[in-house]
Amino acid sequence: MTQRMRGGPLEGVRVVELTKVWAGPYVGKLLAFLGAEVIRIESLDSLDVTRTYGVKDINKAPGFQAVNPQKLSVQVDMKKPEGIKLVLDLLSKSDVVVENLRPGAVKRLGLGYDVVKASKPDIVFVSMGMYGSEGPLSYQTGYAPCFAALGGLSLLVGHENSPPGAMNIRYADSTFGAAAAFATVAALLHRRRTGEGQFIDVSAVESMTSMIGDTIMDYSLNDVVHECDGNLHAEMAPHGVYRCANGEWLSIAVSSEETWHSMSRLMGQTNNALFSTHAKRKANEAQLNQAVSAWTADRDVHELVELLQANGVAAAKSQSSVDLVADPHLWARGFYREVTDKTGQAKNIIGPSWKMSREAAITDAAPQLGEHNAYVFGELLGLSAEQQQQFTDSGITR
Amino acid sequence: MSAMRGIKVLELSESVSGEYCGKLLSDFGAEVIKLEKPGTGSPTRRLGPFAAKGDDNERSGLFAYLNTNKRSVALDVTTVAGSAALQKLLNHVDVVIDDHASGWLKDIGLDPETLDGKWPKLVLCSITSFGQSPPEDRVHAEDFTVFQASGLGYHTPSGSADDMPPLKGAGRFLTSYEAGLDAALCISASLYEREVSKQGRFIDISKQQVLASRLDYVLGQMVAGDMDVSTNRTQFDLFGPAGIFRCRDGFAYIWMSAPSHWDGLRKLLGDPEWMNEFPERWLERECTPERVKLCRQYIAEWLATQEKEKVAAEAQKLGLILVAVNNAEDLKASPQYAFRKFFAEVNHPVLGAALHPTVPYKLSATPAQITAPAPLLGQHTSSMGEQP
Repeated sequence: MTQRMRGGPLEGVRVVELTKVWAGPYVGKLLAFLGAEVIRIESLDSLDVTRTYGVKDINKAPGFQAVNPQKLSVQVDMKKPEGIKLVLDLLSKSDVVVENLRPGAVKRLGLGYDVVKASKPDIVFVSMGMYGSEGPLSYQTGYAPCFAALGGLSLLVGHENSPPGAMNIRYADSTFGAAAAFATVAALLHRRRTGEGQFIDVSAVESMTSMIGDTIMDYSLNDVVHECDGNLHAEMAPHGVYRCANGEWLSIAVSSEETWHSMSRLMGQTNNALFSTHAKRKANEAQLNQAVSAWTADRDVHELVELLQANGVAAAKSQSSVDLVADPHLWARGFYREVTDKTGQAKNIIGPSWKMSREAAITDAAPQLGEHNAYVFGELLGLSAEQQQQFTDSGITR
Repeated sequence: MSAMRGIKVLELSESVSGEYCGKLLSDFGAEVIKLEKPGTGSPTRRLGPFAAKGDDNERSGLFAYLNTNKRSVALDVTTVAGSAALQKLLNHVDVVIDDHASGWLKDIGLDPETLDGKWPKLVLCSITSFGQSPPEDRVHAEDFTVFQASGLGYHTPSGSADDMPPLKGAGRFLTSYEAGLDAALCISASLYEREVSKQGRFIDISKQQVLASRLDYVLGQMVAGDMDVSTNRTQFDLFGPAGIFRCRDGFAYIWMSAPSHWDGLRKLLGDPEWMNEFPERWLERECTPERVKLCRQYIAEWLATQEKEKVAAEAQKLGLILVAVNNAEDLKASPQYAFRKFFAEVNHPVLGAALHPTVPYKLSATPAQITAPAPLLGQHTSSMGEQP
């Protein structure tokens, strides 16, 4: 049986997930990494699509496994009233429920906030939707790139004088999840201090706009509407990604005259009057970028990073997926770490973004479907072996 | 009632990540005391956007946005007197937030290594580019270089040609906002435990790890050996006709991956002849580059004649996933943002009244609220005597 008291700041908190795909599961993952016991409720008839993408075996789906380590899984048929009753029984023994089903779906299931609150008055109920659960556009749905487009981000990413190119298509869900996780923990803190639970309504689109707050402020103060401008930055120049030998890319960001002085010395551009101040570098930025590109073009990216860093310049290789998975610093910090699945097989996962004293232990790979039925129905809900068997026989649990 | 009322936070931060983290707590009612260098204050006071007029220390819209509900005390902790004052303050606060480079905290007399012995109840959070003790070739960093080191940069934008440079993310500080969010999450969780355990904690946030962890769906598969890694710029991409298209009044984004989307499009367009050139269920089963290109051409021709909001509303009602690509002006006009009161008017003594974007979560019992504008430099210095 899984060891459920793993340390960490949220040890003892029980979270139930009614979630699908990425954003909702990401909330549970963050809370599990902080020590909470996180139980996914799944139904064979309405599986999370990430359990089936690209594989026949729903217990080996790579996408699902990437986002659901250190969680428990129970399988309940939520189309049957007995199934909903079981879910409510579990929620009455839980602290948090997180849902990101389609707009209105939890209400139709009979698991809306009012119903859950009647079973568990101090529940923290977290509802996640593209536009939030209410309002004139809350009926609309979409995926991650829609959140970034609606939230004002996509228009800001792209080459100069080109149509917008948008953030990477994988960006948005996890940021939305992180915002929801923070609000959840704030509500748990309030509950611990006062005994009061509450309803939290999180908007994916607003979570995106929060990532460009200062850009929005420029419109509020000065009516300035920003558009994509390549890699330009009002306060830094050079500020770009430059091609090096072997088709590799080097990012450089110069934020002071002092660092430019160091860099211009390395480039042999100390006396170039075109670049002598930040204002001049901005005014002559095309020439500046040409000069930097000419300097990097035939050089090795790693040597350049070392040279620039040794001279106080912010520079980093633009890392491909090969570089990332091999990044020794990420391995050394425990960002990549090993867990074990039900069959005893070891598997690498992405760990938390943080290190902290008295961390929660992270030991388990993502659960098989219904792997923890016996624990949840037997130990938590106190059902006898016979009662559990009856539920299984009637297809309520499997 | 506020979720974090009565919690005292000392902010040593001087850049966006730590100030945003402090704001997330102060907007939930925490008492955040910001220490600023006398005379010049936080460096974010000298970053735009700037209002047209006013005292130079008070004109920054960035500072105004990041520091709502906080108090400003002018104190230089790098001096002997400042360090002594800091030592006293540390006995009276619950949380310290910092975002200077690794090693700075030790220099001012707040060594994370001695936290347990000297301040056992203190929650101390340090946000840095690559975590504590970065390797020699990662000592100097900005948000942009961290973004490029995290995997997000190399793969931005999706569908990039190999000879075009990787791009920055949206805005200037996305990296910092992301890191501030995880920092606020870890601090809140630590406070939750501390209510009972009475124990503090050191939290070490690496911006690189925050951004890389946001890619867990793909990067997790890669590190597990379930998905190929490569030097391809498109390695994270999903292929198909989805993308941004020009409209009459801007741009729209259309997502298409399932038969229901294709059916929705057929209904919306009134069953046009060109759609019959495509086999049924081609999106799932026969999604060739040629078909994608052709489909995109037809969609581009059609959307060029449409208005983004109007066509999005029609499409959504038919199950087609199509949305407007918004800018700041569109967001200010959004009926949904108005309904959720996402923008709050904040009255600042120098900047005047301005709409601030708020937070993406609505809490029924303890909503985040902006009750005071960002402080003037040193506005609360004189109250420090009785404050702690």
